[in-house]
Amino acid sequence: MTLSSILLLSAGAFAQKVTFEEYDLNNGLHVILHQDKSAPVVVTSVMYHVGAKDENPERTGFAHFFEHLLFEGTKNINRGDWFKIVTANGGQNNANTSDDRTYYYEVFPSNNLELALWMESERLMHPVINQIGVDTQNEVVKEEKRMRVDNQPYGNLITSVKENMFKKHPYRWAPIGSMDHLDAATLEEFQAFNKKFYIPNNAVLVVAGDFDNANAKKWIENYFGAIPKGQKPTRTNITEEPITKEFHATYEDPNVQIPMLVASYRTPSMKTRDARVLDMISDVLTGGKSSVLYKKMVDVNKSALQVGAFNFSQEDYGMYLIYGLPMAPKTAADMTKEIDEEITRIQTELISEKDFQKLQNKIENRYVNQNANLEGVAENLASFYLLYGDVNLINEEINIYRSITREEIREVAKKYLNKNQRLILDYAPAKDKAKN
Amino acid sequence: MKKYIFIAACLCLSYSVTAQDRKQPQPGPAPTINIGKPETFTLKNGLKVMIVENHKLPRVSYNLTIDNTPYAEGDKKGVSDLLSEMLGNGTQKISKDAFTEEVDFLGANIGYSSQGAYGSGLSKYADRILELMADGALRPVLTQQELDDNRNRFIESLKSEEKNTSAIASRVQDVLTFGKNHPSGEYTTEETLKNVTLQDVKNNYNSYFVPSNAYLVVIGDVDAKKLKKKIEKEFGSWKKAVAPSVTITEPKNVQYSQINFIDVPNAVQSEIALINTYNLKMSDKDFFPTILANQILGGGGEGRLFLNLREKHGYTYGAYSSASASKYTTTFSATSSVRNAVTDSATVQFFHEINKIRKELVSAEDLKNAKAKYIGNFVMQIQKPATVARYALNTQTQNLPADFYENYIKNINAVTAADIQHVANKYFLADQMRVVIAGKASEVLPNLEKTAKQHNLPILFFDKFGNPTEKPVVNKPIPAGVTASTIITDYINAVGGEKKIKEIKTLKIVSSGTIQGQPIESIQRKTADGKESVEMKMMGQTVMKQVVGATSGYSEMQGQKQPMSADEFKEAKAEAAIFAELNFAKNNAAKITGIESINDKDAYAVLVGEKTYYYDVQSKLKVAVKEVVEAQGQKMDNITYYGNYKEVKGLKIPHEVDLNIGIPLKLMVTEVTTNSGVSDADFK
Repeated sequence: MTLSSILLLSAGAFAQKVTFEEYDLNNGLHVILHQDKSAPVVVTSVMYHVGAKDENPERTGFAHFFEHLLFEGTKNINRGDWFKIVTANGGQNNANTSDDRTYYYEVFPSNNLELALWMESERLMHPVINQIGVDTQNEVVKEEKRMRVDNQPYGNLITSVKENMFKKHPYRWAPIGSMDHLDAATLEEFQAFNKKFYIPNNAVLVVAGDFDNANAKKWIENYFGAIPKGQKPTRTNITEEPITKEFHATYEDPNVQIPMLVASYRTPSMKTRDARVLDMISDVLTGGKSSVLYKKMVDVNKSALQVGAFNFSQEDYGMYLIYGLPMAPKTAADMTKEIDEEITRIQTELISEKDFQKLQNKIENRYVNQNANLEGVAENLASFYLLYGDVNLINEEINIYRSITREEIREVAKKYLNKNQRLILDYAPAKDKAKN
Repeated sequence: MKKYIFIAACLCLSYSVTAQDRKQPQPGPAPTINIGKPETFTLKNGLKVMIVENHKLPRVSYNLTIDNTPYAEGDKKGVSDLLSEMLGNGTQKISKDAFTEEVDFLGANIGYSSQGAYGSGLSKYADRILELMADGALRPVLTQQELDDNRNRFIESLKSEEKNTSAIASRVQDVLTFGKNHPSGEYTTEETLKNVTLQDVKNNYNSYFVPSNAYLVVIGDVDAKKLKKKIEKEFGSWKKAVAPSVTITEPKNVQYSQINFIDVPNAVQSEIALINTYNLKMSDKDFFPTILANQILGGGGEGRLFLNLREKHGYTYGAYSSASASKYTTTFSATSSVRNAVTDSATVQFFHEINKIRKELVSAEDLKNAKAKYIGNFVMQIQKPATVARYALNTQTQNLPADFYENYIKNINAVTAADIQHVANKYFLADQMRVVIAGKASEVLPNLEKTAKQHNLPILFFDKFGNPTEKPVVNKPIPAGVTASTIITDYINAVGGEKKIKEIKTLKIVSSGTIQGQPIESIQRKTADGKESVEMKMMGQTVMKQVVGATSGYSEMQGQKQPMSADEFKEAKAEAAIFAELNFAKNNAAKITGIESINDKDAYAVLVGEKTYYYDVQSKLKVAVKEVVEAQGQKMDNITYYGNYKEVKGLKIPHEVDLNIGIPLKLMVTEVTTNSGVSDADFK
């Protein structure tokens, strides 16, 4: 028996299954229940299908702003009490925002599921959106931007790549948005945003962990059922023209000392098979110390301090990013040349059988760990439903990866990773600002 | 009129129904834990195996623990640590390279210690991972080469800790608490490491790496039945043997509370630890009240010690307590690192909080929050396989009832405020407390002695290894005729004399060191007319730079330039000379403050502005500079040490510099250039 047939055989015996049940409330709220009684923990989360890409181009930063605003309090939760309630009940909570969606969650001991459902329903049903909250969070968000973006070396990297890669699509701005837009926004505008997107039929509620099914359903109906359905937001597909000629851009960051080279290629939605093939290409290029770019550039030629490749793929489009820090005296141009050599190789030659098997092991390890904890499972369930449109992918996506062949890797590299399809960004140290 | 009332009542009614409906829900009954019951069996050689089948994920972890009774290693202390490092470097069947390569290909993790082994990975490789792990554990290759390499590394790490106040403090705490010959009290030195032979390592392995008290815990996607056969195959050959067991002298608490002081002259903070021993098993009914009492007293950022010593008084960055439970004698301890000046006050506050929890019932809210936090942490940890493994193992090794963890939350919830007070009195022995303080005697002792007297706490003195010693002499008399000016003149003569110094117009010193394994290079340039620049580079990139030019100066961190204020520049300028001491002589600003111990040698302390310069009494050379820095809103002393003076162009230049930049950094000078390699451009 050959090694590859052993691998195939054991793949068939793969036992990882996330079981779940899903249904809709009358108001259109989608509910996913995943029981896992291995520990008395319950994760309650709501993912709203609203992200930075849903914003008015004159009011960027709104989606993320809401991730702050909606902790301010509700009709029945006083301002400032949200976190106290969570801690005093032994729980943890947090939220995050991307271009595509906003996600809120609580992790509680299982005897506090009702509390968690109540809190999330409070947030959806009647959050208090007033001037005090807006003013407070405006300051907090500004501090967050200073800390996490402006004061952070390479903190504006993704922002600057996005604004160059997208001319029409709202992916052209970042979730943190513009502080001027936020300053200019009126209270009425915030309330209107809430009314438009924070509706049950634009969200998915996930309960994962140790709970009684009947009780959970009763509480969900009780707390969420009365929330009125809204007008489902309409989404227009904005198509970007394909990139046909390599183009250059520069961004100056006062926080960095070493320029970063970024090559960015437009790629399709994360929902496509090609996006998954591109993930595998990232593993070939820079996954681990034996990967082709790491070995060549960091280890042998010493042209790079660091090199990485990944497919930053989202609901509508993706960007394939290859980035590196040159190691003096080598330059960005030297790095580009070496990167191009390896991309050409991947476009013309098949990767070896052994590397292909290593890839399978990597994919599988990653996949197993992706669902290793309950918080991860809850978020994956929500994403697969809301963004991918198929919850079953939580169990089946790995089959897509497994079915990808060496030939496809070559073809996809040929399709997307060509020189004339990319941006070359010089993410450079600021020239003037540092001089006194 | 009636109609209106009716409507109002209706509104009222419907309103209250909705309001009731949306009130904050109460928690349900405390959950019980669903821990998979392990499949248990024992091999003929005594190895106990626990398999927790969990098919949720296709992965597996193996955890081998050998629960030997603690034993003292005596004059070969360190032998088991050396064995830990030497295991896993190949097996009698597989070379070291092939072994690590295969582990990587499988995406697995495999590791060893002298008391066990660990392996994890995808369950489809479960058998192979087990084979590799067992092979490494049962058929190790123990070579002289590996012993020598690991011993050298170990000795290096001991050296790096010689002046480390917290390392000294922790060693002496153990020695004093348990006694020097107790397994928990003995310590490793270069000598004990050098006493270890390859045969000793092999003997340690043969005596203690045995199955009689060994547990193999398996968690994951495995078939217990099939795995049982596999485990029998892989571990069945493990030779049956019982680890030697010796009786240990039980440690005793002091009869009355006292301070045990260790002088660490370079300490900029005092390490305070209040310690007493006690016996408390996890299966005792006092266990739950004790962990909650500790949680309230000093379990974290909401503990009373933290709120008092940090939030209220600002003595420290953190203050905590711990109260453990074990089948062996264990300890209560309350610890903090505080700045020198408040050592005595901090000690008083420690006693205040310990006494308070002994004398007063804790509030209902304190108790409720402690329970909520404990329970929350507990249930959120328990889903991790490592936690499940630990619990299954604890149940066996700590002789816990089978439903110990199932009832954990229930038992936490049952604890009352009276229980807390009861255990605080029983285990937090405010009247038999050993207060171990490692700190700088010259700055700490005068106040500490006064305060200790007020509180009836005798002070006993110990050296850095826990041997009783005399009270350190903190105020040595300065010999007649010695003044700041004679010290400085002596120093100038010792390095080569004023004439030689004046021949130097520029000086460039290049040194190198490592920070967390990364090489760092420092380039220092100075000119006779008072310009200076220091640059730190990592991997060819400048990470830090400070420049004192002719009329202005700046510092630069990660590319961010910060100009110096007028005051900062003035201060920097005063010292920016090839030998700052020439300026001291001119300005007549130096004052002698005493004789202190620097690296165990007497040195004159000379105060200039806000900095203290230390000059060795014997060699006359400058051995250290102390300055006050501000960090996290607190003033702290920061000392730079100079040593290994070598002559360059007739001048003695220190070739070893020990800095503290948040972490210790040792710089070794690699290049000294005079009168070249420095230009005006360097100070722009």
